Amino acid sequence: MNSPLSWPEDAQGGVLGDGRYALATDRPASVDELLDRVRERVGQGCAIYPQGGRTALDYGGEPARPGSALDLTGLDRVIDYPYADMTITIEAGMTLAALAKVLAEQNQRVVLDAPEGDRATIGGILATSASGPRRFGMGRPRDQLIGVSFASSSGELVKGGGRVVKNVAGYDFPKLLTGSMGTLGVITQATLKVRPKPEASAIIWAPLDDGDALERTLERLNVSETRPVAIELLNASAASTIAAVADLPVGRFVVVLGFEDNADSVDWQLVRARQEIDSSAMAIARDSASEPIWSALVEFPALAIGPLSFQANIAPRSVAAFVERLDPDRWRVKVHAGNGIVQAHGLGEWTFEQAAAEIEPLRAAAVADEGNLILPRCPTAWKTRLGVWGDPRADWSLARRVKEALDPLAALNPGRFVDSI
Amino acid sequence: MASTGIAPPRIAISPRLSSDLVAALGADNVLQRPEEMLVYECDGYMVERSMPDLVVFPTSTEQVVEIVKICNRHSVPFVPRGAGTSLAGGTLSIGGGVTICLTRMKRILEVSIRDRYAVVETGLVNVFLTRSLAGTGFHYAPDPSSQGACTIGGNVATNSGGPHTLKYGVTVNHIRGVTLVMPDGEVVETGGAVEDQPGYDLTGVIVGNEGTFGIVTKAIVNLTRDPEAGRTFLGVFDTVDAATETVSGIIAAGIVPAALEMLDNLMIQAVEQAFGFGFPTEAGAVLIIEIDGLEAGLDREARAIAAIVESRGGAVRRSISWRTRKEPEYVAIWKSRKSAFGAIGRLSPTYCTQDGVVPRTKLPEILRFIVDVGRRHGLRIANVFHAGDGNIHPILLYDERDPDQVKSVLLASHEILDKCIELGGSVTGEHGIGVEKMEFMPKLFTPADLAAMTTLRNMFNPIGRCNPAKLLPGGAGCLEKTGPRRAAPA
Ligand SMILES: Cc1cc2nc3c(=O)[nH]c(=O)nc-3n(C[C@H](O)[C@H](O)[C@H](O)COP(=O)(O)OP(=O)(O)OC[C@H]3O[C@@H](n4cnc5c(N)ncnc54)[C@H](O)[C@@H]3O)c2cc1C
Repeated sequence: MNSPLSWPEDAQGGVLGDGRYALATDRPASVDELLDRVRERVGQGCAIYPQGGRTALDYGGEPARPGSALDLTGLDRVIDYPYADMTITIEAGMTLAALAKVLAEQNQRVVLDAPEGDRATIGGILATSASGPRRFGMGRPRDQLIGVSFASSSGELVKGGGRVVKNVAGYDFPKLLTGSMGTLGVITQATLKVRPKPEASAIIWAPLDDGDALERTLERLNVSETRPVAIELLNASAASTIAAVADLPVGRFVVVLGFEDNADSVDWQLVRARQEIDSSAMAIARDSASEPIWSALVEFPALAIGPLSFQANIAPRSVAAFVERLDPDRWRVKVHAGNGIVQAHGLGEWTFEQAAAEIEPLRAAAVADEGNLILPRCPTAWKTRLGVWGDPRADWSLARRVKEALDPLAALNPGRFVDSI
Repeated sequence: MASTGIAPPRIAISPRLSSDLVAALGADNVLQRPEEMLVYECDGYMVERSMPDLVVFPTSTEQVVEIVKICNRHSVPFVPRGAGTSLAGGTLSIGGGVTICLTRMKRILEVSIRDRYAVVETGLVNVFLTRSLAGTGFHYAPDPSSQGACTIGGNVATNSGGPHTLKYGVTVNHIRGVTLVMPDGEVVETGGAVEDQPGYDLTGVIVGNEGTFGIVTKAIVNLTRDPEAGRTFLGVFDTVDAATETVSGIIAAGIVPAALEMLDNLMIQAVEQAFGFGFPTEAGAVLIIEIDGLEAGLDREARAIAAIVESRGGAVRRSISWRTRKEPEYVAIWKSRKSAFGAIGRLSPTYCTQDGVVPRTKLPEILRFIVDVGRRHGLRIANVFHAGDGNIHPILLYDERDPDQVKSVLLASHEILDKCIELGGSVTGEHGIGVEKMEFMPKLFTPADLAAMTTLRNMFNPIGRCNPAKLLPGGAGCLEKTGPRRAAPA
């Protein structure tokens, strides 16, 4: 879309990411005010860039045209918390940490395992579909969200789903909005399932030195008699950073199992899992001692180490071979091994040519596995050439049509998502 | 319940349509004589009927594309259909046209235990998938009570639940990708066997579309690890109130049972007559409470549940401790539950199964309301439902030959569903909107919500030829007339 507006030269109006500045930043204190701002800005020809805790401003493609930032952090109220129904309805600008605090009063939690919880907002977590280690046993953000309200680019408030845990009335906007990177609507409110906090939790930390044993171990864990809520795999580089938080042994690889349940069940699982894994230097951390390890696992994707990070999605059976290819001096790697999600941070200095030479064959391997490889962090100048959202997929043409239907003015986060949506 | 949509006039069918379809599929895969098509004039929702002009049985995605193109060429609407167990009239061929019945596409194309998925054709009957996985240590979790008949495609289209979806999640939580034949014949594959494909969660929004976005011919489904063990209890209560208070108590205590189902006295009697499981026929209500997981953790949960049951004046009458879901007593109790709708036939020739949802703490209130509605309208209402989700299924018994009773059933159903909305719930937890509940959509959603849904539907299905007159009330004009009514909270 041709816009008469031009990019501001400085950060006076706020920051958008990728070195771009906002024409202005609006921070509405109510949904009505937010709708007014959206209508007004869109009327002026601005694009709208929704922002939560600003933890992921550089995530995705470059902002495509000048626009204003829409800061959601003024919308941070609890709307309704019928805790005995195990649901909560909140405004989208609430941070994960603030939400956790409210829920803790009833000994409850939400399963949103996103990093930087003191800054990351619920709206931002949902928009990016940020997930963590517990997704293996407890699902992703899409599985926790039962109702959503969002502002369309025409400034109307739209909702989908509801406030009850089971509901099939109407199309599932909660699913469509989750992971949509703010390109379909500005999430203003969410209703989430909540769960009781587990009575007990534990981590098994199992260093493995034999690369050949890796897939055997993961395969065994897939049919384990235990029921881990997390199966993570670390390479030596990731293992040594995370080991530091709790004085743990390191190896070429470390398999990390997370358990959460009642104490009897967790006790039994620790005994059983130790028999199932062949590791000479296994360590176990229980309850409060496991917490720093859980949080290091959750925080991993937010480590800002070098200029480049990738995330590959592949079949779980291919994880071991994929990770073996990655040089631990160049890549710090953690994998949701049960789900096939490989997260890697590049170490040291990188030129564009070096990055391309590494990324292209890795992406080809992921695509051959019917997966893909995206770049959550990457210098702006490399973004188009390296393809931050991976190899184009056939269903992106349908994605584009969904975008054109729901945001016909292409006003919301233009340029940021797949296919430059 | 009567649909709001005024049925469009029947479409004129050219004889060429039938010869084109026969040429594409072979005569064996096309039905066109009214006496052969009787079954297809309605589904599990028997209040309305509409005969299709033809019924076709494709055996491949390519054939579905062919059919859709032929229908478009002849400007004829088409409706996807699985087993026809819909309780919302989702498969009615409104205004006539072609019913595309998927039941001959029933292959399991791939099973990967290592990567925990299966790829199936959508005409596959739900229970066949789980049966084929026996011995692998994995199963397909969504288990609608109709699972012996309904298809995966119907489950995907309606986002089906079942007794065990309380703990394990409904259909949408278990679908990784689909193959969709769009209403113009374009084939789109969304998602995939590998998780987290970049792009919108198209799969997530296609699930639950009730056949209004196109025809789903394949699905990639999650496989879930079997529980190591379980306990299934029969909680017996003098009153419905005590049982529903127990449900709220269990949920509020933070226990996540695998299943939590309630039957009231009328239902107990019907089920007992039919199956003789040993339900106490004098009880006001029973709860089937199931926990599963690791054997090591179950005793403690079992004790906590027994304490809650007793504190509400109930008693745990039977306790089945199982290792597999094949043990005879386990099979017997669930057969009674899952066949409960069938058993109703002994009480009344015709009945209407309702589907509504309330927040779980509101169960005592909605059940009391249902009793009151029954009394006021002089109707017998039986209850058997997914209590743990707050998903009620009042079954209104009536004699369809008596027009006054039919009227009362419609009125009573409306009152119950309106009450669900008032209590902060929904008018359907799993059966869908179909033709049955379109008039409730403006009560649940604002004009802006409905407009956005219509926009989305029109993107997939611009001419509206695929499953017309379902889910969304009327056209835009009709919406405006409805005006901004009080909508339920988001
Ligand atoms: C006794 C009984 C018990 C039931 N119990 C439950 C229960 O516990 N939980 C529950 O959720 N439901 C239940 N139902 C309702 C019903 O079984 C479900 O909605 C089921 O998913 C329908 O599957 P089906 O194959 O019969 O689909 P159909 O009835 O044939 O179709 C249902 C809808 O899906 C569409 N559709 C079907 N196949 C496709 C396809 N391949 N692509 C696109 N659209 C398609 C149809 O157009 C229609 O709108 C019950 C019904 C009965 C009769």
